[in-house]
Amino acid sequence: MNGTKKTRQAWGSRLGIILAVAGSAVGLGNFLRFPVQAAQNGGGAFMIPYLVALFLLGIPLMWIEWTAGRFGGGYEHGTAPGIFHTMWQKNRFIKYFGVIGIFGPIVIFIYYTYIESWLLAYAFFALTGKYLSVNTQAGMQAFLQGFQGLEKNQYFNGLATAYIFFVITFLLNIYVIYRGIKGGIEKLCNWAMPILMIFGIIIAARVLSLGTPDISKPGWNLLNGLGFLWNPDFSALKSARVWLAAAGQIFFTLSVGIGVILTYASYLKKTDDVALSGLTAVSTNELAEVILGGSIVIPAAFVFFGPEQIVGIAKSGAFNLGFVTMPLIFRAIPWGALFAFLWFALLFLAGITSSVSLAQPAVAFMEDEFALNRKKAVWIFALITFILCQPAIFFLGNGVVDELDFWGGTFALVLFGTIETIIFSWVFGIDRAWEELHTGADIRIPKIYKFIMKYVTPVFLLGLLGFWFFQEGVPVILMKNVAATNLPYVVATRLMLVAMFLVLCFLVFLVWNKRAKKGKEEEVTL
Amino acid sequence: MNLGGFLMLGFTWAIIIILTVYCFYKVLAKKE
Repeated sequence: MNGTKKTRQAWGSRLGIILAVAGSAVGLGNFLRFPVQAAQNGGGAFMIPYLVALFLLGIPLMWIEWTAGRFGGGYEHGTAPGIFHTMWQKNRFIKYFGVIGIFGPIVIFIYYTYIESWLLAYAFFALTGKYLSVNTQAGMQAFLQGFQGLEKNQYFNGLATAYIFFVITFLLNIYVIYRGIKGGIEKLCNWAMPILMIFGIIIAARVLSLGTPDISKPGWNLLNGLGFLWNPDFSALKSARVWLAAAGQIFFTLSVGIGVILTYASYLKKTDDVALSGLTAVSTNELAEVILGGSIVIPAAFVFFGPEQIVGIAKSGAFNLGFVTMPLIFRAIPWGALFAFLWFALLFLAGITSSVSLAQPAVAFMEDEFALNRKKAVWIFALITFILCQPAIFFLGNGVVDELDFWGGTFALVLFGTIETIIFSWVFGIDRAWEELHTGADIRIPKIYKFIMKYVTPVFLLGLLGFWFFQEGVPVILMKNVAATNLPYVVATRLMLVAMFLVLCFLVFLVWNKRAKKGKEEEVTL
Repeated sequence: MNLGGFLMLGFTWAIIIILTVYCFYKVLAKKE
């Protein structure tokens, strides 16, 4: 589109991109979603479908995204429309499917940043002792609802506090993106990831040394808490739901199918390794999820709330665990305020390393396809997403976030993951893809993965897509579980999403149309 | 925690720790 060719950004070091991809993958789900999923789906037995999904779905998808991203970057495309087009040049429409890889991250960004800001606020409250006086589940729930502006109570009189923390979090995100790949995202992840891991180790060590805090209740001990999470119920493996939950967890935890890894990998050089780097990012995420995430919330909640309440707590969802149960637990242990701060700071770091990655595809799209400079692209992104964030903040209680999460954070992911796998293994061709994956590789991937990537991963994904569509998609699309009072908000959110998708498609059309015209003009002058 | 729980925890942790150590060993060795 532009006459002058400008140099694309690049990573400063190999460890930098590994930590950035791991940072994108390590999020709230590692510490809150995983233990709940495991406890509800067979305990230790859940790890069997989980590991199967990791090796047959997660790792192949990670390699696919790293390889496709680096390939597209070689043609100066950092986002899915351009990357898909370079991989399937004969197809005029494939670039529009690639729009999902920009649309999904923006949609997630506009609600994830707000949730991330709650973590910053709770870390601050831990230091100021604002929720130290709250000592019941109901009280902590009221504190959270007051903070979110869902009710006015003795703790909060409106949304002002939450909004201030949102603005701070949003500006922090924009600042990091504004500083660019090397000076912003890489720098952030280089210090945030080790700190996050250290905080995680400190909290896990504290939980694992809880023993039996109340000697009048000897059964409420750490070993039984770990048992609640890890004791296997192998009969659960007969249920398709458990296998689906495990595959879903792997999908969400690795940040595959969003489009961000494609963009991150597009800043690599042709000869940079992707095979070992991709695997290292996966293993870092798994370390944070299974070893740290599995050792904190559920065992701690069991020790303090006992075998009966833990069932209800686990069912109450990830947010309840993180924002209601955990502060109450920290309140009951010595140095609780410090541990509460470490907990929310850990989650905040996990959140910000993910949210900056969600912003990058849209920024890269403007830089690569519209030849805008980074600063201009970041300002446009900031302005548009700041406006788009508002419904998630002001209409949180009206189902807006759930709607955004379904379309951006669930449906788009699985659909995009399926499309990119098929393009990579079948259209681009598994032989060429295998060669591309091994260009500059520091490890030799077992040949069985050639078969897995061509047949097993696509079938796995199509199955997942089908199951999801009928199990969750149909009721959501038909708005079966939406309260009548929330209907206008949900419909308005849906219209906003359709408009966003169409605008992105139109922008892609504009770019390629202009490029085609320019190509014709050059042919004439020659 | 029963024996099955211990085994599942040990097995999963072992796989993840071995994978992580192997990957970082290879990455850092190449860097030097």
